Amino acid sequence: MKKNLKVLICDDSILIRKKLRSVLEKCKIEEIFEAENGAIAVEQAKELNPDLIFMDIVMPDKDGIEALKEIKTFNTDVKIVMASSAGTSDHLKEALSNGAYDFIQKPVSFESVTLLIEKILKEESANV
Amino acid sequence: MFSQYFGHYLLNRGLITREQLADSLEFQKTVHVKFGVIAVDEGFMTTAQVEEVHEKQRQMDKRFGEIAVELGYLTEEQVESLISHQKQSHLYLAQALVDRGYMTIDEFGAALNEYKKDNSLSDEQFEAIRNGNVDTLVEKILVAYDEEKAAKYGKYLSLFAKNMIRFIDDQVYLEVSETNNVTPGNWLIKQDVVGTSPLFTGISINDETLLYVASIYAEEELTEIDALAKDAVSEFLNLHNGIYLVNMSNWGTELDMKPQQVFESATVSGDLFQVTVNTSKGAFQVVLSDNPSNIAVESATGTQTV
Repeated sequence: MKKNLKVLICDDSILIRKKLRSVLEKCKIEEIFEAENGAIAVEQAKELNPDLIFMDIVMPDKDGIEALKEIKTFNTDVKIVMASSAGTSDHLKEALSNGAYDFIQKPVSFESVTLLIEKILKEESANV
Repeated sequence: MFSQYFGHYLLNRGLITREQLADSLEFQKTVHVKFGVIAVDEGFMTTAQVEEVHEKQRQMDKRFGEIAVELGYLTEEQVESLISHQKQSHLYLAQALVDRGYMTIDEFGAALNEYKKDNSLSDEQFEAIRNGNVDTLVEKILVAYDEEKAAKYGKYLSLFAKNMIRFIDDQVYLEVSETNNVTPGNWLIKQDVVGTSPLFTGISINDETLLYVASIYAEEELTEIDALAKDAVSEFLNLHNGIYLVNMSNWGTELDMKPQQVFESATVSGDLFQVTVNTSKGAFQVVLSDNPSNIAVESATGTQTV
């Protein structure tokens, strides 16, 4: 069973990155990386090959939907969870049709992230 | 808002005197709600356990939550939940009444349960009552304006007040400011809503109130205007605008928004609508315009995108 997920947090907010990191650390995730916009996330995704990405939508330089589309062209396996306050039906449709794994409406709760991680770990272990 | 309401319930039930209520409502402005009060209020700990943790705190430099977890009285999840409950204003009143010796924590908890029972309220309805007051409040402040303007900004402001109550401070009170220029409030945080109903949205705020709002939203005490403090207020605006977009989307209007920007000592001018948001620890301005292309933002120090 695969125990250690490699996770990339992409959000332009320092606060959100800090909070997500703290929740992930409580979930015993050891490899956590951060990107402050979509363009950096694409680079990081190439370099680090993460298992899971938390992706904000509204960001400078490159928004989360654009980053999602690009990352999916070279890494089809990565699970990309959109985490945004703007969960409008347009955003949801666009994210899911471009291969997003899930969508979390902000503010991100401790429980929603914990449940998601548990679900992913279960899937990973079933796939091995 | 709610503490005034609940305070009068305690008064009518003869649980406190008018003088004690007035004194506590005044005193609660300076109160910092202690973890122990909330832990008992939530039914996570007994008063004896709280006392034991307080005793340990006198001996070691650790937070209440840390010690309570070490002693096995609270789980990490309960600590998280208590941090978010620290914002509820009935707890400010509880702390004030306890600190002033007018009621014990147990008596307050019992009275709160009685209140919910008397009014047949579930926790969700309890929240709704507090939010319900906001719509009335916003309608009231916009009554002097023509219907078109009131309808345009009413939805946004009502939601803003609810999000203030939900995430920051339920002592919030809104007033319309009669001016077309925003005086520099040290910081301007702006975000453009784009689409068929575009909107310029901004918060003009001074150092002290910024630190207050940022500390509550970030759930940690921030004492310096650093990147995290500015980001916290900026993220609150982003969260609120995101929820506004979701509401508009549910009503059939799809909108989008741009990343927020932070300006130092900025002046905003143009066809704008300004509302003063009073919190229990200071005021700030919400600046709106449904004609964003008409709005000019000037800042001596330039822009910083967050």
